[in-house]
Amino acid sequence: MFGAAGVGGPIGRAFLLVGLVGALFGFVSCVMGMRQKDEKVLRLSLRFATLSAISAVGAFVAMEYAMITRDFSLDYIQNVGSRSTPALYNFTAVWSALEGSILMWLLALALMTAWVAWRYRAKVTDPLVATALATMFVTAFFFFLLTIGPANPFAPGDTGVTDGPGPNPLLQNHILVLFHPPILYIGYVGFTIPFAFAIGALVTGRLGEGWLLETRRWALFSWGFLTFGIVLGGWWSYEVLGWSGVWAWDPVENASLLPWITGTAYIHSVLVQERRGMLRVWNLSLLVATFSLTILGTFLTRSGILNSVHAFSESDIGPYLLTFFAIVVVVSLVLIGWRGDRLRSPGIIDSPLSREGAFLANNVLFSVFAFVVLLGTVFPLIVEALQNRQIVVGEPFFDSLATPIGIVMLFLMCVAPVLPWRKASTELLRQRLFWPAWCGVAALAVAVLLGATGLEPLLTFGLGGFATGAALRQLVLATRRQKWRGLVGRANGGMIVHIGVIMISVALAASNSYTRSQELTLTKGVPASFGGHTFELTGFVEESDARRTSIKVDISVDGGKSYRPAIHKFTSMGQNVGTPSVKSSWSKDIYLTLEPPVKPTSDEAKIKVFIKPMMTWMWAGSILMAIGTVLSAFPGRRRRPTDPVSAPVPGALTGTSP
Amino acid sequence: MSSSEGKPMSSRLKSWPMWMFMAIVTVCLLAVGAGREGGPLTQQERIDVITKRLACPTCDGESVFVSQASAAVNIKNEVARQVASGQRDDEEIIAYIEERFGGRVLLVPRTTGFDSLVWVLPVSVLVCSVAGLAAAFRRWQREQGLVPSDDDRAMVARLLAEEPQDHDEVPR
Amino acid sequence: MNDSENSSPLNAALEGRSRRSSLIAGAVGVVVALFFVVLVVSSPEDRETAASPLLGNPAPVVRSTTLENEQFELSRRRGSWVMFNFFNSTCVPCRQEHPELVAFHEAQASVATPTELYSIINDDSDNAVRAFFEANQGGWSKVRDDDGSIAVAFGVAKVPETWIIDPNGFVRMRFIGAVTKDLLTEKLTELQTAFEGM
Repeated sequence: MFGAAGVGGPIGRAFLLVGLVGALFGFVSCVMGMRQKDEKVLRLSLRFATLSAISAVGAFVAMEYAMITRDFSLDYIQNVGSRSTPALYNFTAVWSALEGSILMWLLALALMTAWVAWRYRAKVTDPLVATALATMFVTAFFFFLLTIGPANPFAPGDTGVTDGPGPNPLLQNHILVLFHPPILYIGYVGFTIPFAFAIGALVTGRLGEGWLLETRRWALFSWGFLTFGIVLGGWWSYEVLGWSGVWAWDPVENASLLPWITGTAYIHSVLVQERRGMLRVWNLSLLVATFSLTILGTFLTRSGILNSVHAFSESDIGPYLLTFFAIVVVVSLVLIGWRGDRLRSPGIIDSPLSREGAFLANNVLFSVFAFVVLLGTVFPLIVEALQNRQIVVGEPFFDSLATPIGIVMLFLMCVAPVLPWRKASTELLRQRLFWPAWCGVAALAVAVLLGATGLEPLLTFGLGGFATGAALRQLVLATRRQKWRGLVGRANGGMIVHIGVIMISVALAASNSYTRSQELTLTKGVPASFGGHTFELTGFVEESDARRTSIKVDISVDGGKSYRPAIHKFTSMGQNVGTPSVKSSWSKDIYLTLEPPVKPTSDEAKIKVFIKPMMTWMWAGSILMAIGTVLSAFPGRRRRPTDPVSAPVPGALTGTSP
Repeated sequence: MSSSEGKPMSSRLKSWPMWMFMAIVTVCLLAVGAGREGGPLTQQERIDVITKRLACPTCDGESVFVSQASAAVNIKNEVARQVASGQRDDEEIIAYIEERFGGRVLLVPRTTGFDSLVWVLPVSVLVCSVAGLAAAFRRWQREQGLVPSDDDRAMVARLLAEEPQDHDEVPR
Repeated sequence: MNDSENSSPLNAALEGRSRRSSLIAGAVGVVVALFFVVLVVSSPEDRETAASPLLGNPAPVVRSTTLENEQFELSRRRGSWVMFNFFNSTCVPCRQEHPELVAFHEAQASVATPTELYSIINDDSDNAVRAFFEANQGGWSKVRDDDGSIAVAFGVAKVPETWIIDPNGFVRMRFIGAVTKDLLTEKLTELQTAFEGM
């Protein structure tokens, strides 16, 4: 069962070395093939890409094999492996720490490089494609270098070690650990492809819309995975971490949010470039920013710099990542500056009251949001580096700035879907926005009737209703014209995604503003009440195995089904992990946690009860976002460019067709 | 003569007076909602409010409310004790904790000195971007009035007469 | 290129645009460069003893029980030098510094006015602590801190920390991280000399 110990290490390392060589030669074959215009040399790049991909897969499999067979000759397994970890968590332990997660990144990157090489194998003689492929090889080379050098997952460990502590107890609690990191990483790595094509376009000077159209689906695909990964992270925070929230604005979360912000701006702004060839510099910058932020995010979370600025210079991986980030940013800036003249668009934005104007405002708003999040995340580092004292920039800072930005975003979501291209009159807006606006008023009235308070949540509810009305209007008009095809395609799928986003915003506003909490000391058999619900302690359950001892309490909510919050004590790490239990319904979640110390013999237990309104809307909204993203990927009915974007409004003074 | 005469019913419905009415209704609803109080906080809610303003001293910027680290749990217990005793108000409890652990336990940077930059910069960036956007729109309105000169037209005619080359598309 | 082409307002607009974009690119580059310089240039400050707002002030009230189930009160230790070591049996630096503390404690036994050493148990079970001390020696009192109130009163977030309190009950020194017997003896002697001189 514990197979050939000691073999996994050298095999894995051999795979990585082969992959490194493959990436290097792939890059060389692209560059030399382009210079010499030699097709045979260019075609070699496909072989090298395949070689790198196979090596990455082989290395990952070798790592999993070592983990599953508990090969304690490797340092990494000594750190995160354990004989008592269940099979599932042992499998996921591969990406529970730095070296393994770099390996997973590499797996995704190498496979994507091979896919690009294969997909464009017939066009590899085109310099744009060859340059894009070369960029991907450079990125793959860098990550292979990390796994050979500072983040070596196959480094041998101390001799004579026969067991390990296992992964962090927080990562042994929930099956989500199998999905959240891989999905997030596919999202991160996926943006490398549009970035590579952007570099190709800049280098070759072919800055029309060709490169954009090629990578459009990839950008949407990566954005979708990144969004879903972030949502799963929020769900994990809620279900596993036990503090009853979904988002804490901590640096690791911010690192995943930053590329999402610029990526979202990109997928919107790209529509303007497709339609009117404008905002090219914006799109290139947003794409470069998205890719650079994925690297910067990895740097911030993996270099130890957040614990202390000074840990950075002691860590091995920090300088590598920072250097790569610097190269990416400098090269991109230089390229954009050099090609500046070719990026001038033929048109201008005629009026702020137009779809282009709205998308430009959107870009500015999202850029400010990204700046705020980035500033808040790195400000403590700057203060510590300059003044050698530690400060914290936490949730209140981000919340107080993100809430107004979010409200303006909601407002843009109200108005932009009805704006025509080029120019709109206020008469047009008055006509088109009428019923959506009444939806907003209705939503606001319902909220006020239900007892909502606070200006910011109320604005969120009102604008949320308004924006939902605008999105539904678009969907109704589209389905009226095109039947079921009115639900697919970019515009319509996008509206479904918007509705999902609105549901999430409303849920966040409600749960952030109206959560009630109380600590109850329950005696067995004696019900206590809070917030209109009764809670009764009906029993204790104690379990233990080699890995952990758990104590759980049965709480009967409203005299019905029992819920079981628990505390687990992990023997190897001496750490207590609390697991909450949640009763969900459409209107609210009742969130129960067990508070230490627990004495079963005393027939008493202290629990904390949170009553959180509308949490289920958040998960429903996320599913809607996923559905909408998939629907967006399908092509809509092919329109002639002169077709109206939406059904004409009778009597509207629009002059030329929109 | 009323501007809504001669228009279909739906168009009359969406006229300015109706929008004004909608605006008034909205403002009233907002005033009612925003004006009223939320009700008293339970003891646990008061503890939550305070712990959401304190940073866990051994974590990366997590609040004491969120963190499960032992230092955070200790601070949470201390806050709970002080809230239960009722002797101090929120600011005093936070000051008590800050006295012992130092400034790193405050979750929000102060508005004085170098730390105020973290508030000043976003606001100034926002103001600059909005101003820049407005300036750009105004510039484009101005440029709309620009007319190509005869030389520009001659250049375009010359280029169009050349062999058409499609540089922009990736060959299919 | 024709002169009149150069002076056409369309061209002027386009020129202005490229100047603006270079400006923005330059600004972004400068910001990023500054970010790097700040990160790369920073260097840590090494200090043996740490700061605290409690230094020079009366020590907080400490009232608890020891593992031997005796009452412990800091104010009743006035007249002796007191050393608190915040401790947890699973923390690696605590285990590493333990032999140093044992040596320090034994050395103090032969001093005229011995310093009283107390371990403050931070987030640990009685049994684990007893087992550790049985295996690794250490005959001084261990004080319980079940709800962490002593740790909070001193502002201790991470173990190990060592504190020195003078016979008048004033806090004199704080060490963050593992200590050695020599460091403790050296600093203690300094403080005692200064105290006697007062």
